Amino acid sequence: MLTKEVRQQVIDDVVGINKGPRALMLYMDICARCGTCEKVCHVAQANPARRTNPAVRSDHLRAIYKRYGTLSGRLLGQLVGADNHRFTDDVLDQWERDFYECSGCRRCAQFCPVGIDNSIITRKGRAILHKLGRSPKYIAKTQQISDETGNDEGQSYKAFMEAVRFLQEEMKEMTGHDIPIPVDKKGAEILFVPASADLVSFPDTQIGSSMFFYVAGMDWTMSSEAFDGANFGLFSGDDAHMKRKNKLIHDAMAKLGCKKLVIGECGHAYRIAKRMAPGFWGKLPYEVTNILEMAADFVNSGKANLDKSKVDFSVTYHDPCNMARSLGVVEEPREILRHCVKDFREMTPKGTENWCCGGGGGLAVMDGREGVDLLDGTFLDYRMKVGGEMKWKQVAATKAHYLAAPCSNCKRQLSQLMEHHKSDIEVGGVMDLFAKALVW
Amino acid sequence: MSALQLLIGVILPPITVAVLVAGLIARLRKWSRAPVGKITLYPSAKTGSEVWSHTAKEVFLFRSLWSGDRPLWVGAWIFHASLALIFVGHFRVVTDFPRLWAAFGMGSQDVDVMSAAVGGAVGVVILAIGLYLLVRRFTSRSARDASKTEDYVALVLLLAVIITGDAMRFLTHFDLAEVRAYFQGLFTLNLQVLPQSNLFWVHFLLVQILFMYIPFGKLLHLPGVLFSHPLLRRD
Repeated sequence: MLTKEVRQQVIDDVVGINKGPRALMLYMDICARCGTCEKVCHVAQANPARRTNPAVRSDHLRAIYKRYGTLSGRLLGQLVGADNHRFTDDVLDQWERDFYECSGCRRCAQFCPVGIDNSIITRKGRAILHKLGRSPKYIAKTQQISDETGNDEGQSYKAFMEAVRFLQEEMKEMTGHDIPIPVDKKGAEILFVPASADLVSFPDTQIGSSMFFYVAGMDWTMSSEAFDGANFGLFSGDDAHMKRKNKLIHDAMAKLGCKKLVIGECGHAYRIAKRMAPGFWGKLPYEVTNILEMAADFVNSGKANLDKSKVDFSVTYHDPCNMARSLGVVEEPREILRHCVKDFREMTPKGTENWCCGGGGGLAVMDGREGVDLLDGTFLDYRMKVGGEMKWKQVAATKAHYLAAPCSNCKRQLSQLMEHHKSDIEVGGVMDLFAKALVW
Repeated sequence: MSALQLLIGVILPPITVAVLVAGLIARLRKWSRAPVGKITLYPSAKTGSEVWSHTAKEVFLFRSLWSGDRPLWVGAWIFHASLALIFVGHFRVVTDFPRLWAAFGMGSQDVDVMSAAVGGAVGVVILAIGLYLLVRRFTSRSARDASKTEDYVALVLLLAVIITGDAMRFLTHFDLAEVRAYFQGLFTLNLQVLPQSNLFWVHFLLVQILFMYIPFGKLLHLPGVLFSHPLLRRD
């Protein structure tokens, strides 16, 4: 049931676009509905349906904005794109499905002739849902866990220290060297913040990063209070959460007196730390960079002792949307891979025109039934059969054995995707391969 | 002077100009005053001149559309370029530029011949492309699913303007001097001549409706691209 109060809140929130930001305001006004976004969207391409057309999805907000937020819309109605919006009881169910079918990958923005970034509209739609307590439960739960424990995996201090100890032992076994993962080291130059999922699900990436710091002779540390750069506030549209979560890192930088914040293989974490944090705290008193950019500098300097022949399988690279399109990290991972891998293969398209893995925008953690009515399936079904379809095709075409994807969301989605297609392509990070190629 | 001529030819024009100018200014002010977030999309533009060269490529060459949908690019680019040409060409309906023509070594009659050839050709091309864009709204899934009333309204309105314009050129004898005298009378508030062609009045009415429509519907993408593209690429 859609109560009058809920309906009014939705209208108020949409009309609130009149206060900005400028991008959203423009996007309400200028869409020509030419259909180009549909042709470049991985969801619309894999499941051609009216609702998967990005322009149609964005019209959920546009029609209400025009109808209730502009004088011309009130007077001229459909002549200026203001529908007589039918607030049916299931309208928010549709929103929940549609705004969470879009992974916010920004590929449409790359090709839109009038310069619309539909991901911003999607995020606004999600923000309205979130305010109404209608975020999908996986997203809401992840935020709740993060608020309670400071990381999305719900790891305690003890569990974190345990993981660090375990990884140090692993590295000793692998190399015979005592490679430290310093924790809470005051005055270290670098604070390293990966996605906490790396410590649990993708330890090889954490190992690779730690080895890099070690062989490059960097003065680094992790923080037991801020070891998770992931931040679901970006996905849910909950700005307050995004700020709260980022504060942990911002505070840790001050507490430990670090000068450089290095984010691990996590696209959205890097985007928030670099792009959003200045919006929260003003000009940051520290530099923000990424493990891939640092490692690329290191391998390019020629100081790294790497042996390509140690990686005796073919490797391809998936550009995470946030890394490539939102941060311009395109060449750096390739430079690392070219130094670490003998047989490196590009997929097409690549770089800032890559196809989304299908797990972006927080979708990668969503498995259950909620939020879709597709194929009578679960969200996992949707990610495998629709969201990941374009990616699967281009990955399969490379015939590579290893798929490097420096982003925890991509890694989870892609691992499940390979399993779904019964493929033995291994999914992992870039730094994993750096570790493999290192000569001791 | 009939009542309709009085309405379309005397009363409406200042209203049209007022609605167009005030509407656009209001919209541009609203956009300019809104707070700006950082939403950089890569490849980004690092300096001001890079931002503007990128925007110029989008505005004049439809760079994004070129990579996104090539067949549509052909139609859309020719359509918009023709519109721009026609817009510029219409300056001659209002007044003439004998000194400009003289600078090119042309007399007014040479220009008449040239504009008949170029204007005629562009008139035919834009009609064909406009019809293609309309048909495409029904046949292309991506456009059909997205299309709403205003998309058809805007396109049909443009087509009506185009068709009446073409009809004046090709189907009737069109007295340019008469129309020019009318406009000069309108601007100097000393109306002596009114064009006799009924087609002219239909065309002129449609154009005024189109102009008044610009600040309110999807045609706002015309000024909008000057805001949206820099916003997206500024680093």
